[in-house]
Amino acid sequence: MSAATTRMGHGPSLWGQRFAALLVIVYALITMIPLVWIVLTGLKTPPDAIAYPPKVVFEPSLEGYVNLFTARSRQTPQYMASLPPPTSWYDELVRKRNMVITGPSRFAGRYMNSVIIGFGSTFLAVFLGTIAAYGFSRFKVPLKDDLLFFILSTRMMPPIAVAVPIFLMYRALGLSDTYLGMIILYTMVNVSLSVWLLKGFIDEIPMEYEEAALVDGYSRMQAFWKVVLPQAKTGIAATAIFCLIFSWNEYAFALLLTSGEAQTAPPFIPIIIGEGGLDWPAVGAGTTLFLLPIVFFTVLLRKHLLRGITFGAVRK
Amino acid sequence: MTETTGAPIAVTRPGRPIFRSRGLSDRAVAWIFISPTILLLLAINIFPLLWTVYLSFTSYRANQPGRPVRWVGFENYQRLLESEDIWGYLQATAHFVGWSIFLQVVLGLGLALLINRQFKGHATWTTLILLPMMLSPAVVGVFWTYIYQPQSGIFNYIVNFFIDEGSFSMVGDVNLAPWSIVLVDTWMWTPYVMLICLAGLRSIPDYIYEAAEVDRASKWRQFWSITLPMVLPFLMLAVLFRAIENFKMFDMVVELTSGGPGSITELASINLKREAFEKWRTGYSSAFAVILFVTVFGAGNIYVKFLNKVKQR
Repeated sequence: MSAATTRMGHGPSLWGQRFAALLVIVYALITMIPLVWIVLTGLKTPPDAIAYPPKVVFEPSLEGYVNLFTARSRQTPQYMASLPPPTSWYDELVRKRNMVITGPSRFAGRYMNSVIIGFGSTFLAVFLGTIAAYGFSRFKVPLKDDLLFFILSTRMMPPIAVAVPIFLMYRALGLSDTYLGMIILYTMVNVSLSVWLLKGFIDEIPMEYEEAALVDGYSRMQAFWKVVLPQAKTGIAATAIFCLIFSWNEYAFALLLTSGEAQTAPPFIPIIIGEGGLDWPAVGAGTTLFLLPIVFFTVLLRKHLLRGITFGAVRK
Repeated sequence: MTETTGAPIAVTRPGRPIFRSRGLSDRAVAWIFISPTILLLLAINIFPLLWTVYLSFTSYRANQPGRPVRWVGFENYQRLLESEDIWGYLQATAHFVGWSIFLQVVLGLGLALLINRQFKGHATWTTLILLPMMLSPAVVGVFWTYIYQPQSGIFNYIVNFFIDEGSFSMVGDVNLAPWSIVLVDTWMWTPYVMLICLAGLRSIPDYIYEAAEVDRASKWRQFWSITLPMVLPFLMLAVLFRAIENFKMFDMVVELTSGGPGSITELASINLKREAFEKWRTGYSSAFAVILFVTVFGAGNIYVKFLNKVKQR
């Protein structure tokens, strides 16, 4: 960073810099506590998870993960004694609590739904966004600014405000609780972000490249496909990750429009019930698995975050 | 600028090659590229919105599709504006939006100023700080209920470590619940304000500070007359985005307090969901949705005008 040296003139003394670093690190550590805590909870046993005082040091257990992926039922001690010896480590873990595994839970299915709907809607939103952004970036479109503002303004609407008609519409069309319905819905929500971000990225590609291609006898489509798209690769990837994260995190529509078949993970995680309320280790485990991809993508995306969160309004 | 016929282009941009491209005309390509997006938004956003407006004038109930629909004019709006509860929900929303944005601006700007000192390793710490805002608000709401547990929660434990409060419930207490959601929102979105402010700070050219040094302006003076005015448009943009998002807030708060205790934290969106999908008063809830949307849209537009003025200064 060359700025660090040039800024020395007006700026921070070494001690000032150290003090700033200290404050930022303290903030970062405090802000990490809830996240670390929930990840740790996923590795606790149910009694440890609700112990007082809260246990920072504990014997790790995979019970939360086992409970997350299995359905279990409580049995009488007599019945437990009559069973043949456990066949696997998770079987043994569950039997310690006088329970037997009755089958897989629905978590894996909900997680897969999130993946399918997330990737499906991301692909569509980025596809539509790329071509629309190219159109807005390169051609004279009547009412261009109004159309762009219209696209942005669709994002201002509270999802609940349009949920009722969408609910009625989906009921009539048979799209309620289907992958297709959710993919279309999330595509609609994401496409505004996708157009705005990609327009910013495509605006930055010099027009001369395409013009050269057009002069060489490429058609407009060929120039778009062979010249612009490769140049916009990074922008498209960054936009895709933003769309994916949104679909992955979305809750309101998923709660109102899905119940079984196409339900995604966010409305499911809060209802992972154990005996006597939420099964916190299982919730912790589910949360950890759900947040892990986001952490990965955030690190991958860190250079483009600013653009993404401001719809391309602020660039570095 | 994209017509393929020559003359006007030659005037405006003389150095530009004149060509005729093969295949579809540019105009056709433009429409083929843009119309799918517009059509999708019209079908799944504007059409439902107009439908909501229509429903707001009727007595429709979505759980009784067979029942004849009655046109009731402005009755829903009238009942809405006369209802005292609505003001309570709007007050709860205002408290949440106002305080969470205030705290995020203070903390976010502060952090940005600190990080802008470019200490060693600042990039790594910045990425760590950014994490909360990328998470699913609903899931955040769920695990904060665990963190806020009166007995075993880590939050209460830490608070008790510093001040001996005994057992208390952030989410269950009438006085604390509104702050519990403000706190979680601040935890989640401070990095958002920070990141935008950081961009603002980095856009200030060094020579301005150098000139101020030459004029022997104090650090304090430099902050008030250079840093703050230059960051202001960025800060205002961050506030705009946060205000719109928090006005719509639903997921995190539903999972954390679900509006309770009583209806202390029942924000506008949560009440809307209750009316629409639990009491099934579709007409009434549609009227509320229309009022909310008009408010956000109107306030947003006025704010953007104001923002543009600040930018031009």
